[in-house]
Amino acid sequence: MTAETIIQSLASGLLMGLLYGLIAVGLALIFGLMDVVNFAHGEFLMIAMYATFFLFAYVSIDPLLAAPLVAAGLFVFGALVYLFVVRFAVRAKANAGMVQIFSTFGLAIVMRGLAQFFFTPDYRSIAHSWLGGKTISVAGIFLPEPQLVGALVAIAAFIGLYFFIHRTDFGRALEATREDAGAVALVGIDKNRVFALGWGLGAGLVGLAGAIMAVFFYIYPDVGASFALIAYVTVALGGFGSVFGAFAGGIIVGLVEATTAMILPPSLKSVGVYAVYLLVVFIRPRGLFGSM
Amino acid sequence: MLSVREVTTAYQGLVAISSVSIEVTKGEIVCVAGANGAGKSTLLKSIAGAERPRSGTVTFDGSRIDGLAPHLVTARGIAYVPENRRLFPRLSVRDNLRLGSYLYRGQTDREGPLDLVFKLFPRLQERLEQRAETLSGGEQQMLAIGRALMTRPRLLMLDEPSQGIMPKLVDEIFAAVKRIRDTGMTVLIVEQRMAECLEIADRAYILQTGRVLIAGPSAEIRVNQDVRKAYLGL
Repeated sequence: MTAETIIQSLASGLLMGLLYGLIAVGLALIFGLMDVVNFAHGEFLMIAMYATFFLFAYVSIDPLLAAPLVAAGLFVFGALVYLFVVRFAVRAKANAGMVQIFSTFGLAIVMRGLAQFFFTPDYRSIAHSWLGGKTISVAGIFLPEPQLVGALVAIAAFIGLYFFIHRTDFGRALEATREDAGAVALVGIDKNRVFALGWGLGAGLVGLAGAIMAVFFYIYPDVGASFALIAYVTVALGGFGSVFGAFAGGIIVGLVEATTAMILPPSLKSVGVYAVYLLVVFIRPRGLFGSM
Repeated sequence: MLSVREVTTAYQGLVAISSVSIEVTKGEIVCVAGANGAGKSTLLKSIAGAERPRSGTVTFDGSRIDGLAPHLVTARGIAYVPENRRLFPRLSVRDNLRLGSYLYRGQTDREGPLDLVFKLFPRLQERLEQRAETLSGGEQQMLAIGRALMTRPRLLMLDEPSQGIMPKLVDEIFAAVKRIRDTGMTVLIVEQRMAECLEIADRAYILQTGRVLIAGPSAEIRVNQDVRKAYLGL
């Protein structure tokens, strides 16, 4: 194994890791805001990929242009999921934890079932997009353009999110609700609006990831499952609820995955990620950047 | 200004206040006193929308506010500082105050009441960048009152502001309450420390096991023999 292949491999791991971070951050955001794990997160990703596919196939909008539209669509979808499903689930008088888990888990199954019915289980892919299949060479390292653009979008999204949370009134309301949802009414904030915004934002971010991933992954009803699993690991690794942790966790997952792929046969490429995850859970159960 | 009529509030079937009526007129300091469990906090929660009364009405400036969601009560001009203060612990003093003016975001003078807050509690100005959780109990109470003032209330409701605070700061906070009233605001304050509360209040109500026992001007209540024996230890 030459130094070049190692760098090549780590570079693509880093790019993929940034995308993993973007997929996971919505999950972390929602969990941090209201201690609810969205078990339909992978299905949010799935519908974002389908939306991008259909925009490309029927309206000829390139995924790159479709990304903001898909993100906006998912924002609305996420807010509606809060208002019509989660809002009622968190009100449960008994067994609140179970009710929350099964409400989003049930939503996931419904979404997958509907996707199978309406979109069929066929694998779809987007051919001849602006970025698809192209690579760029930087100092002798070949980087696939879709992954590179995905990584840049992820970084931009994280920077945007940072400023949104720390510099705007709505961001401050989000932080305050995270701290004490029962207290925000004291300053005139409607916590339900903040929760809806949080779900919208979380879904919008995974929508952004889905639009870009549609360029280089097959699109099918179960596509969300494997990515959701990685997203849960990313979030747990980074520290549940920590937005920055999701970013760092994503990069770690990407790099570990790439390293494993160099050492072990490809079919075992996920082993490294879960091994690292188990190790972190044993040594530091709150995650690397968790504060709880 | 505020009129609570025959309000009954219960938690899981347990009646905490029963047919309580109180009146607060503009510019007054009204003290609601009583022992632990008398229903003082429940009364404030029923006004603030944190608890929904089972029966009775709450009217503020001529319109009914009972059953209104708590954030809407704040928007109507009632600021409520609950017993445990409910600050945002990991946010800075500055952010806590800034959140207080959330309703006025986008307005150029949104931070208007900040001058008053700093005049009342200069310590807050010194600790602007500190996290709220690092403040002492007294300072946290000051911040909670400061955050409430940022919502530009017409009625300020304080639940046991003296609780868990060293005596010197208690005096400071009671003095601040008087100065707040002098700016034209109305104050409804709930206290266990009846003597201090009666000193600054214009009128007072004494609650016992969920009912109004005695009501009247503070000066009268202070000299009431039963009150002196039962509550003031004289």
